[in-house]
Amino acid sequence: MNKPARDPIFQAEHLSLAHPAGRGQTAAAILHDVSLEVERGEALALIGPSGSGKSTLLRCLNRLAEPTGGTVRFNGRDIRSLDPRELRRRAALVMQTPVLFEGTVRENLRLRSAGADDDFSDERLAASLADVGLDPAMLARDASTLSGGEKQRVTIARAILRNPEALLLDEPTSALDPPNATLVIETVSRLRESRRLSIVAVTHQPDLVQRLGGTLLYLVKGRVEASASLDGSAPALGDPRLQAFLAGELPTAPSEPR
Amino acid sequence: MSAPATVIDLSYWQVGVALVLIVVVIVISIRQSLGLERDLALGSLRTIVQLYAVGLILAAVFASARWYWVLLMLIAMTAVATGAAVSRLRKPIPGRHGIAGLALTLSTAAILAYVIGVVVQVRPWYEPQYVIPLAGMILGNAMTAAALAGDRLQSDLRARADEVEAMLSLGFSGREAVQPLVRAALRAAMIPTVNGMMTVGVVQLPGMMTGQILAGSSPLVAIEYQIVVVFMLAAGTAMASLIFVRLAVGRYLTPAHQLRRYML
Repeated sequence: MNKPARDPIFQAEHLSLAHPAGRGQTAAAILHDVSLEVERGEALALIGPSGSGKSTLLRCLNRLAEPTGGTVRFNGRDIRSLDPRELRRRAALVMQTPVLFEGTVRENLRLRSAGADDDFSDERLAASLADVGLDPAMLARDASTLSGGEKQRVTIARAILRNPEALLLDEPTSALDPPNATLVIETVSRLRESRRLSIVAVTHQPDLVQRLGGTLLYLVKGRVEASASLDGSAPALGDPRLQAFLAGELPTAPSEPR
Repeated sequence: MSAPATVIDLSYWQVGVALVLIVVVIVISIRQSLGLERDLALGSLRTIVQLYAVGLILAAVFASARWYWVLLMLIAMTAVATGAAVSRLRKPIPGRHGIAGLALTLSTAAILAYVIGVVVQVRPWYEPQYVIPLAGMILGNAMTAAALAGDRLQSDLRARADEVEAMLSLGFSGREAVQPLVRAALRAAMIPTVNGMMTVGVVQLPGMMTGQILAGSSPLVAIEYQIVVVFMLAAGTAMASLIFVRLAVGRYLTPAHQLRRYML
């Protein structure tokens, strides 16, 4: 790798995370000494078996989870020096099971904290729906009547409305059927190009990884066991497990929806 | 209150004859294989022992009529209610006894002070005949309300963790993100009381009113007390569950607006 100007959006150094021991249970270690870097506008895919800590690692990046050791930097700044609410708007999380609240699509897109001052005009809302490939007429629909794929794309539109610099995707397609999964994958890769978004995705889908390119990290039991860059014409996949994953032959079953 | 001239003093054998009712229940339990015989027997025994013990203590406190004995009694009642309020949580919340103790103490003290000081105007304030039964009713309801609220909060935090994290991810504060769950827990705690207000006196006579009438009070005096009691219990339920839920939900959040998922 000899990129001239390096401009990482995320840098995680020696992250570890263990939950405190409860009564009658030992401290559960989730992450061990994980380091990673995400270049601005690039993608990073986190793969590995269930329970390997991928989702927790993702949640450390927007500080939904607190590492017990190590540092995460966002745009060069330790995220502990940022307001977590601001960080989460700039590094938006899209979850495996789309969470929409009671009400219309419009109300869902407009959700905002008391202090926020976003522009949530109908034009912007409609444009955000168009961005994720949905009909702007959907604004008035009751959110509970949408299909799974539509719901997931509405949650992406909701994230995009807040002008994030990065999208954190937690198995965004594993609760969807293949046609809807493909639509979501296309939406994400299109947004990435049009908005120069940086993307970190926990996934079990080789399609998504192939479309996004970037770096692949293979986690097992909270440790990085292998990594590879997918850029260039003949990516060097040192580890046979990475080749197997991309060929769709690595049995990394999706996690149970939480 | 009129003189309780008509009260029939029960003798030991009359109380003993009432045990026949429990024997009927035990027979039903055996015939239907409910497996409740042991608990019924133990429960009956505890009913007898605990109530005689309380009766003796109350008789002593009433006879002495010293403020410090009344206060000690109130503290003991609050301690027992605190333990009971958190004993059935699915997963222990750190600091639960402190949280429940504070919720029950504050709500009971505030409401009791208002009722004995302003509404009923008991003089002296520590007159045990008034203070202890009133405090007992508030505590009992507050305890149930805190337990219901805690149970609902815990099950909702578990079932709706994704919803909370989705809100946090959109830039909401921890408090904002759990607000819908706090509301649901408060409603769950208060609905039985509100429903009770709708049917009070119609479906069954409230226990205190029954007791007063049995003790010879005129039904009109009894209902006036009962009205005060219903309002008092509604306030106690609301205040205790509000304090309990607010403090308890704080245990699940961090200052960095995170949900402590491992506690769920």
